[in-house]
Amino acid sequence: MTARDAFLDSVTPTTPTSRASDTHLNWLEDEAVSILREVFGAFERPAILCSCGKDSLVVLHLAIKASAPGKLPLPIVHIDTGHNFPEVIAFREALVARHGLNLIVGHLDDSIRRGTIRLAHPLESRNRHQTITLLETIEANRFDAVVGGARRDEEKARAKERVFSHRDSFGQWQPRAQRPELWNLYNTQIAPNEHFRVFPISNWTELDIWNYIARENIALPSIYYTHRREVIERNGLLVPVTDITPPKDGETVVTRDVRFRTVGDISCTCPVASTASNAHDVVLETIGATNSERGATRMDDRANDAAMERRKKEGYF
Amino acid sequence: MITNRPLRFITCGSVDDGKSTLIGRLLFDSKALMIDQLDALGRARGAQTRAGELDLSLVTDGLEAEREQGITIDVAYRYFATPNRKFIIADAPGHEQYTRNMVTGASKSDVAVILIDVTKLDFTQSEIELLPQTKRHSAIAGLLGIRHLIVAVNKMDAIAYDQAKFAQVVAAFELIAHNLSLPAFTPIPISALKGDGVVLHTENTAWYAGNSLLAALESITLEPVTSENTGQAAHLAVQYVTRDAVDDHQRWIAGEIADRSLRVGDEVSVFPSGAKALVSAINTPRGATTTAQVGEAVAIALDRQIDVARGDWLIGSSEAAAASRRVVATLAWLDNTPLVAGRRFLVRHGTSWSPARVTRVERQLNLDTARWNDTAEQTEPRVCSNDIVEATIEFANALPVASYEKSVARGAFVLVDPSTHATAAAAMIREMKKQ
Repeated sequence: MTARDAFLDSVTPTTPTSRASDTHLNWLEDEAVSILREVFGAFERPAILCSCGKDSLVVLHLAIKASAPGKLPLPIVHIDTGHNFPEVIAFREALVARHGLNLIVGHLDDSIRRGTIRLAHPLESRNRHQTITLLETIEANRFDAVVGGARRDEEKARAKERVFSHRDSFGQWQPRAQRPELWNLYNTQIAPNEHFRVFPISNWTELDIWNYIARENIALPSIYYTHRREVIERNGLLVPVTDITPPKDGETVVTRDVRFRTVGDISCTCPVASTASNAHDVVLETIGATNSERGATRMDDRANDAAMERRKKEGYF
Repeated sequence: MITNRPLRFITCGSVDDGKSTLIGRLLFDSKALMIDQLDALGRARGAQTRAGELDLSLVTDGLEAEREQGITIDVAYRYFATPNRKFIIADAPGHEQYTRNMVTGASKSDVAVILIDVTKLDFTQSEIELLPQTKRHSAIAGLLGIRHLIVAVNKMDAIAYDQAKFAQVVAAFELIAHNLSLPAFTPIPISALKGDGVVLHTENTAWYAGNSLLAALESITLEPVTSENTGQAAHLAVQYVTRDAVDDHQRWIAGEIADRSLRVGDEVSVFPSGAKALVSAINTPRGATTTAQVGEAVAIALDRQIDVARGDWLIGSSEAAAASRRVVATLAWLDNTPLVAGRRFLVRHGTSWSPARVTRVERQLNLDTARWNDTAEQTEPRVCSNDIVEATIEFANALPVASYEKSVARGAFVLVDPSTHATAAAAMIREMKKQ
């Protein structure tokens, strides 16, 4: 075993798996694999958006299955906000090396340098600004289909999202003009400069994802499992203490056993208190969870009931 | 441990019928709603209208415009699970673009839950008349071939849980079901608002011996998509062809298995080329197998090099495939631009795209009466968005079609406008014409 494999495997809890009795995961797996093969077959320049969050890693795992025994026929794209968890970037590099992936990184800092993104202040959350860098990366690489790991159970606006979601030449989502999606006969017709966002795990829930990660032993960045971290209790959230999110005056820094339920931009992603050290523990915690994934962890979605919808219309993932 | 495949169902009805309340109730009572989502409900404008009770209908309001206008615009998908089964709800809005949304949701559904609001019915006659929208919902469910129908007779609390009135509604629905040749249906008395009959029956409907709605959904057995005994061969619409990462000469043909299972050693022919080969290996997302089951996403290796590309079909038979250039199909017209007979469209059938032309509109379904009107004599029948017609369609190339009743994979196709790329129609083949 190489050091790289040891790194990837060290974050994969080895647990007994049962492959026979979970028919519904097989059904979801078949559906996702079919959608991915549709992308491989119907588009000229497809790509997979991969933040190295659990959902995009499940999509990558499914894409490797969909192309097997052939090679993965498309690049993976990471939109790098520059505000990353170091564990996630180290994980990304190991993953790329292990699978021989073609990685394309779109740097938010490049957009800032070009002047296409202007921050209101240096420590502003970069989450919303990702959209610009994403659209610039799509345009520069002339991608006609970009696969993502969004799920319909995540958020209200996403419940109405198509599996093959058409975007105009500005990358905009037009919820009132979506193409009806009939059977599995996807309308993949496209005009120049338009593209599709494709969501193979639309029908998966957070619990399905964790059950699948446990069953398939999918490696995740270590911060998905319990670890000690300095946090601040703010508005009912545990805000991680980082260079970008320092404590405010009068706030107390405490050390907690936490894990992340989602991994996004470091400035807006919060962990939850947890002692779950492997995917099976997380499955049990998820069954007992009383807050939704985004409600528990995202500072940006709390602002407004329609926050996600507005970002999506602009071309956010 | 869930040991079934997910059950997909569509809820047919409008907000006034209590549809959103019903879905909210299913999600709430099955504990699929999280505390922060309930908090958001509490914050929503007008949520406390019912004396401190949460307005569960607000759970399903998705888009900002919908919340502002109190309407639903588009099909939304919801998820919940019981210890026995995972459920996917296609929540089709009742008013705007009705047919379009319901056809979309119904095309992938195993079950249709048809909601009837008893407060809108006139019980003074012994034979009551159901609303036009109930006929519409039932007609579309029938056309799409949905095999399981549940008739949820809602707002029973408003008629004092009257057993006789429930029986009148059931008798009226039997008439519709007979006219439309619908499959057997399960009527259930419920009150989505009060919770009666949704997850459990209460003493209010003690006279009803059947299942609650949730128990009925849990107990539905999903037969295999098509049976092995209809004499149909296995069909695979080729999605993608790839070279083996290790053996560069070995190609793998990927797609979904339809109509019948396929085994290693079976002879297959390629449509349209007619080239033949034997299946030498089958790969599924779970690994290698000797039998590919209907519905599985597989990659297939053949024992010799033959030319196969996306858009072709692999057919598990040594006989030449039956192909047609002209069919009669039911069209659900979805585009805002009306149908002009003679116009060219792109047809997506399986994984292929080819030109097609709607040559003649034969008859049109009156959705309010659930009866067909002959239009063949009209010089220019006007077919608009949300209309349902039967029409003759001519394909530029012969396609290996089947009737929709026999095979959804080969009997369904989609018409796309070649200039706007809008999805113009959903089509279900009823009859194949001789050349």
